[in-house]
Amino acid sequence: MKKLLSVLLAAAMLLTLTAAFAEDSDLAYVEGKGTLVVGITDFAPMDYKNEAGEWIGFDADMAKAFADSLGVKVEFVEIDWDNKVLELNGKTIDCVWNGMTLTDEVKAAMSCSNAYANNAQVVILPADKAAQYADVAALSGLTFAVEAGSAGEAEVKALSYATTAVSTQADSLMEVAAGTSDAAVIDALMAAAMVGEGTGYANLTYTFSLNSEEYGVGFRTGSDLTEALNAFFAGAYADGSMMGVAETYGVQAAIIPQA
Amino acid sequence: MAILEVEHIQKSFGATRVLDDISFTLEKGKTLSLIGSSGSGKTTLLRCLNFLETPDQGVIRVTGEVLLDMAQPQKQTAALLRKKRLHFGLVFQSFNLFPQYTALENVTLAGSLLARERPDYREHKKDILAELEAQAMDLLTQMGLRDRAERYPHQLSGGQCQRVAIARALALHPDILCFDEPTSALDPELTGEVLRVIRELAERETTMMIVTHEMAFARDVADTVIFMDDGKICEQGDPREVFDHPKEERTRQFLARYRQER
Amino acid sequence: MEQILQQMPIVIGALNTGFLQTLKLFFVTLLGALPLGLVIALGSMSRSLVISLFTRTIVWIVRGSPLMIQLLIIYYFPGLVLHTPIWGGGESGRFLAASVAFILNYACYFSEIYRGGIQGIPRGQDEAGLVLGMTPRQIFFHVKLLQMIKAIVPPISNEIMTLVKDTSLSRIIALQEIIWAGQSFLKGSQGISGAIWPLFFTAVYYLVWNGIMTIVLGRVEKRLNYFR
Repeated sequence: MKKLLSVLLAAAMLLTLTAAFAEDSDLAYVEGKGTLVVGITDFAPMDYKNEAGEWIGFDADMAKAFADSLGVKVEFVEIDWDNKVLELNGKTIDCVWNGMTLTDEVKAAMSCSNAYANNAQVVILPADKAAQYADVAALSGLTFAVEAGSAGEAEVKALSYATTAVSTQADSLMEVAAGTSDAAVIDALMAAAMVGEGTGYANLTYTFSLNSEEYGVGFRTGSDLTEALNAFFAGAYADGSMMGVAETYGVQAAIIPQA
Repeated sequence: MAILEVEHIQKSFGATRVLDDISFTLEKGKTLSLIGSSGSGKTTLLRCLNFLETPDQGVIRVTGEVLLDMAQPQKQTAALLRKKRLHFGLVFQSFNLFPQYTALENVTLAGSLLARERPDYREHKKDILAELEAQAMDLLTQMGLRDRAERYPHQLSGGQCQRVAIARALALHPDILCFDEPTSALDPELTGEVLRVIRELAERETTMMIVTHEMAFARDVADTVIFMDDGKICEQGDPREVFDHPKEERTRQFLARYRQER
Repeated sequence: MEQILQQMPIVIGALNTGFLQTLKLFFVTLLGALPLGLVIALGSMSRSLVISLFTRTIVWIVRGSPLMIQLLIIYYFPGLVLHTPIWGGGESGRFLAASVAFILNYACYFSEIYRGGIQGIPRGQDEAGLVLGMTPRQIFFHVKLLQMIKAIVPPISNEIMTLVKDTSLSRIIALQEIIWAGQSFLKGSQGISGAIWPLFFTAVYYLVWNGIMTIVLGRVEKRLNYFR
């Protein structure tokens, strides 16, 4: 399935590459239709629903502000994370704004904004076993549940440790909770929100960081919206509104200064 | 005047000639029996008359009207073909009743569909359908099936099914009613009731062509008998003549073999 | 347990919304695919070689490739290749694209069942109709159709049961049906995260619905038992 998908994706990209360059201004396209369609997943604290069913979060609020600055409406669309490039190139969304790690693959497939937040891939372990492992090397015998195609998977593979691919980061937590995998690797920002005391996974904990990485926003290749967003970020950082939003969602420590 | 005239009918399936220069006539109100061994072409001949097969050559006339002349092939429009078919009725060996309709509905269905083409159909729909139903009830009564009118085919015996099929064919008032081995699919004890009905039709001077293996019946009920062999008419004439004093060697052999099997 | 009871109202609400989407897709598919399947069946039996070859090729492609790929192609290709995202990015566009994919896919499966049903009717039924002066059209609608329906109800029932479950494939184009709704509580949604039970609980919805379908289709089958 994954293989078929990537073949399909490659074919689609090949077909669109030429056209993407020939395309008129993406900014004009979005302004013309009056709506910025933002591709997201349910991913606290970046994009998630409040009790009224509205999308909120650091990314969601920043996207709303960006759309305001362009004078267009914002529409959030939940997508399958595996299909984000398809969604972008198929013009069913205009950007991916969802705590997206800027990996080489992402940068090759999309036009990416400047990094706006720091993140890390952290190891999730059952709380009662965490003390047994002194350092990353001690984890070598374990099997790791990782989201297929994620930055976490890349990190574990680089260490040549055993992996079990699952379809979402949340699934990888379930694997550890159910004991079907020994450990998992997920985003630090997500781990902070989902693991430990007072969460659905109270008996899990997160330990080592395998790397440090950065979040960015993705647009179609060659899009001039990227420039527009970089300029917007710089302005929002300068007037303090970006930090204000960050404080609302408790991610202020991770924000990267914009200029 | 002959109601049916058949001239020089020829039909091949691939390289096999199934009908070879078949010519005969049938008078109105008379019964014709077709006998002969399996594969001699009797059934194909009936199917040609009912336009289920198209002959390669030959002429078919009913009451003087040319229904088919392969020497002057004209485009057979579907509507024209349907009209021509209605000169003939056909009773199948395996009944071919419509299983989802009651005996009565089997008899009325075709008539009620044809009636839709009448210009006064919309105006008198109720009357027309009531008339069709009354007529169908009469036919079923004649077949001794009055109390079976509301039954479905699977609730009837083979003999009863075949009698419904006869009523169904009669409902359209064909000029000539054809039977294709009407008792061959029946248990021996059920053939009698079907033969009795056909005999009654003969007595009422219904024009009929019967393909049958019931020799005694053929001899008894038919006005003319045709013995077919290998796609040809081998001998034809008065049944008493053909059965008791066959002129052709092949007829003799066929009848002798038949008597032996008995 | 207490926690589950607290989460229950939120989860059930979300699952109901998702299941409504599932049912919508289910009914739209049946409404479109049952008649379209008949058209395709008649096309594949057409005396015109061009028409029958064309329809048979389409049936072969649709039945021979995964529905998931068909969903991806139908939803993404207009934007990717033609640069006209005809479906749009919103929920209604995704639903429409999923409907088209499901109707086409199921119509092709139905067409093969129909074809078997039509060809399974003895030739004698045609001949009886013809010698009674019926048109081929009348023979089809007044003689063969009901017999065909009777023959195809059991295999169609099987497909209908499969359809209910197949609707979950539409999550590949991010149509938020019930499985999507159940899974959202794993990742975290509406203040509930890491909850595994909603995903498993979706099975109850499928079971109940297929139970209802079994009864309904069983009744249909029974009603057609008056003839053989």
